[in-house]
Amino acid sequence: MNARRSLPRRLPRLLAVGLRTHIVYLSRSPLEILVALIEPLIFATIAVYLFRAGDRPGELLSAAVGAGLMGIWASVLFGSGAAIQNQRWMGVLEPLAAAPVPLVLVFLPITLASAAVGAYALLATLIWGVLLFGVPLDFADPLAFVAAVPATVLSLGMVGLLLAASFVLLPNANALANSLSYPVWMMSGMLVPVDVLPAWSAPLSAALPSKWGADALRAAVTGGDAWPPILICLAVGLCYLVLGALMMTWVERRARDTATLALA
Amino acid sequence: MNGFASTARLVVVGGMTSYRALFNWTTPSMYIGTLFASPLFQLLFFVYVGRGLGVAGDEFLIVGNAVLSCSVAGIFGGTMAIANERRYGTLGTVLLSPRSRAAIFLGRGLPYVLNGALVSVTMLGAAALLLGWRTPVDRLPALVLTTLVGAIACTAFGLTLGSVGLRLRDIWLVTNITSALMLLLTGVIVPSGELPALLRGIGSVLPLTHSVAAARHITDGDGFGAAGPDLLIEVGIAVAYTLIAVVLLRVFETEARRRAVLDAM
Repeated sequence: MNARRSLPRRLPRLLAVGLRTHIVYLSRSPLEILVALIEPLIFATIAVYLFRAGDRPGELLSAAVGAGLMGIWASVLFGSGAAIQNQRWMGVLEPLAAAPVPLVLVFLPITLASAAVGAYALLATLIWGVLLFGVPLDFADPLAFVAAVPATVLSLGMVGLLLAASFVLLPNANALANSLSYPVWMMSGMLVPVDVLPAWSAPLSAALPSKWGADALRAAVTGGDAWPPILICLAVGLCYLVLGALMMTWVERRARDTATLALA
Repeated sequence: MNGFASTARLVVVGGMTSYRALFNWTTPSMYIGTLFASPLFQLLFFVYVGRGLGVAGDEFLIVGNAVLSCSVAGIFGGTMAIANERRYGTLGTVLLSPRSRAAIFLGRGLPYVLNGALVSVTMLGAAALLLGWRTPVDRLPALVLTTLVGAIACTAFGLTLGSVGLRLRDIWLVTNITSALMLLLTGVIVPSGELPALLRGIGSVLPLTHSVAAARHITDGDGFGAAGPDLLIEVGIAVAYTLIAVVLLRVFETEARRRAVLDAM
């Protein structure tokens, strides 16, 4: 009845409890966490070797951070992409859809949690770099780095909402997810700036919050003004949040109209 | 029908039937996305990273990644060929067959060998179209042969993992981790010589390390003779993994029959 009317007041609590629940849930399996960390660590190792070979030893920290960012995207891609499917398999999709809060607010904490859990990869690549390769943690702007990480995680979580809503409509979403890691890593300039890519790809890169997040993190690590890309990253992320909310609402309405929530 | 012809029929017809069955659950878009799009984006990613850092050179990364691209079909296909029998509950039916297990499962690996080599050759073609990579035409047959040998070694390795999967609860974790490690350990991106001795040692017994080295000899113009030793080692690795797979299958089957716990294998 008045559940929707009081929603704005309850929204922060709803998001906070949902986020906490799903971060704890996603962190329950040490084996899965370990597996999720291995690929970023492999990429961090490769990146360090490449940066050394490229005579850029001063940018090793940037390599470790870039590899960690790749891990965050991988987590969003596979965690958020399968968010709805996972709830369906666990048999809780119908109760979630029947809850008085909009479905989009049920799924937003899930996609944010998958991005937040991906941040383990960033932590791991930093520790890996320090312990194994002696990478010094000399951030050019530590404050900007501390701001850029949650901004990037938040924005990628918002992208995750659009992925979650879109992937449920695609019968072969797994194949799409398998193919989307490298293009986004490349177009976001997670290891090297996007300047090396063909000029036609610039607008596509600009539409990705991960590109602005990577720019911000690189500026915070190597020097430069990290704050404008942080703000752009959040703004682009908000655009994805709006698109994701619209898509999620449409998917929910379509499933209710056709009575195919368990199938659609 | 004599024994050899009968076994050959089992290998070829059984392998093709099993491969066709794959398309009961996969679709062309999933097939293309997993086997072709993903390796292509991987190749492009590393070439642009190499260009951005001014390291390695396009050809080094293109050839390495193209050869590595056969590993998806080989390793995952080889693993699926055995492990999926357990997953879908059909292992018992297969083990009721009086035919040779080696012939049954090696036949299933055969299409993935051809599939893997096709992916590698396609990657080289895509690199020529998209990145302007060029190599003299007379080097192509040797290059194709190298990718074929690499695909055989990968499939043999996949069959070994699949055999192990008869015992492990989730072999796909192992397969995914191994597949990711090959990116680092086979000299595809980072030359093997730059890796620590331990990693270099592990890489030297993995499939593809020697195929990648052989392919680089060929594209560098050293001639097929220079690539020969690496190709022979790669063939030896393929044979070794095949034997390990066959022995593991035999051991696990005997153990399962002895303990009458097929499902818990």
